[in-house]
Amino acid sequence: MLVLGLETSTSRSSVALVDADRVVASASLGIPRRHGEFIAPAIRFCLEQAQIDVERIGGVAVGVGPGLYTGLRVGIATAQTFAAGLHLPVVGLSGLDVLAFQVRSTSRPICAAIDARRGEVFWAFYRSSPGGVQREGELMIGRAEQLAAEIQSYGEDVLVVGDGALTHREVLAETDAILGGTANGWPEAAGLAELALPRFVREETIRPDQLRPIYLRQADARIGWEVRGRLRGGVGAAGADGADGADEASTS
Amino acid sequence: MSGVRLELCSDSPETTRRIAAALADVLVAGDVVALSGELGAGKTCFVQGAASGLGVADAVTSPTFVLVRTYAGRVTLVHADVYRLHTLQDVHDLGDEVLAPDAVTMLEWGDAVAALLPDDRLEVEILHDPDDEDARRLHLQAYGTSWTARATALEEATAAWR
Repeated sequence: MLVLGLETSTSRSSVALVDADRVVASASLGIPRRHGEFIAPAIRFCLEQAQIDVERIGGVAVGVGPGLYTGLRVGIATAQTFAAGLHLPVVGLSGLDVLAFQVRSTSRPICAAIDARRGEVFWAFYRSSPGGVQREGELMIGRAEQLAAEIQSYGEDVLVVGDGALTHREVLAETDAILGGTANGWPEAAGLAELALPRFVREETIRPDQLRPIYLRQADARIGWEVRGRLRGGVGAAGADGADGADEASTS
Repeated sequence: MSGVRLELCSDSPETTRRIAAALADVLVAGDVVALSGELGAGKTCFVQGAASGLGVADAVTSPTFVLVRTYAGRVTLVHADVYRLHTLQDVHDLGDEVLAPDAVTMLEWGDAVAALLPDDRLEVEILHDPDDEDARRLHLQAYGTSWTARATALEEATAAWR
């Protein structure tokens, strides 16, 4: 069983081919926001270097967030296209789960934290369990200070991994937490595929069209243009309506 | 909300560009500049000046129809316009470069999406001068600890136009 892993939900992009025995091939890029340019050539690179025919891939695992919006969509769209084209099953996993899985050998409670920008963090708590990690509680989003308070109230020295721990080092350093470094800064496709592999074996998979990103943030609020009418067109709400009409006409 | 507030005077689009270019010296990666002002007030003009101050070689044009443009400079400059957007989600959909920690983001009509903006930000409102067609008043309001630390530098950079 060979699994293709795609993880582009953070500033890092990575691709890996993993089977039951090893990480067969992997490629990753630490330059932010190059997901779209990187992912297809990286898949080709992994296949070519491992001298593996694309037909041998048995499933596609992809990171479904929470994380960066465009990155998430690049990963999910690529996984959908790839899996639909080759009629492969799919597993979608949170990058937070992958981050925790990557440090599963620790005996401490684990907090996976991904930078959500604007002083906010996505996080979840985990404990090591035989063969992996067990999540305790929900995936969360909140201010770094809120995460610091949660860590402090945990009652044990928590290991914090992910770029959330790097970005908010100062805030989190005021807690008793042990902060991971850049080696544990991002979910990697190899860890993702490794974590997903048993699910393919147990056939706990979904169809490509069933993949859904995890956003956590409620961003469906409308922009308050009606209160900005004066500036927007200089003539109040009527000006705003006119702009909307032009918008629809030119984009249809 | 407290912060650093400056009022500047510009007598022409060229002066607006010079003010923005001078202000660009104070900008660092991760900065967010929210621009507001009537259509034709000179928001894009301001970004053009800031771009030259950041060492951007490419010509900066209005992003109203493209929505977001990215320019290579001393710091990467992301120029976006939320004028044609409807929801906060649309702003995220512009791409991950908007509000990125390693770039300077200049957001036209950024005050309309204040809920998405970081605590540390510079708001620039450009107002027509009722007495002079070419002249503008620039109201700069800087928020957050990062800008408090740079208040003196911001004031010195723009002192010529106070």
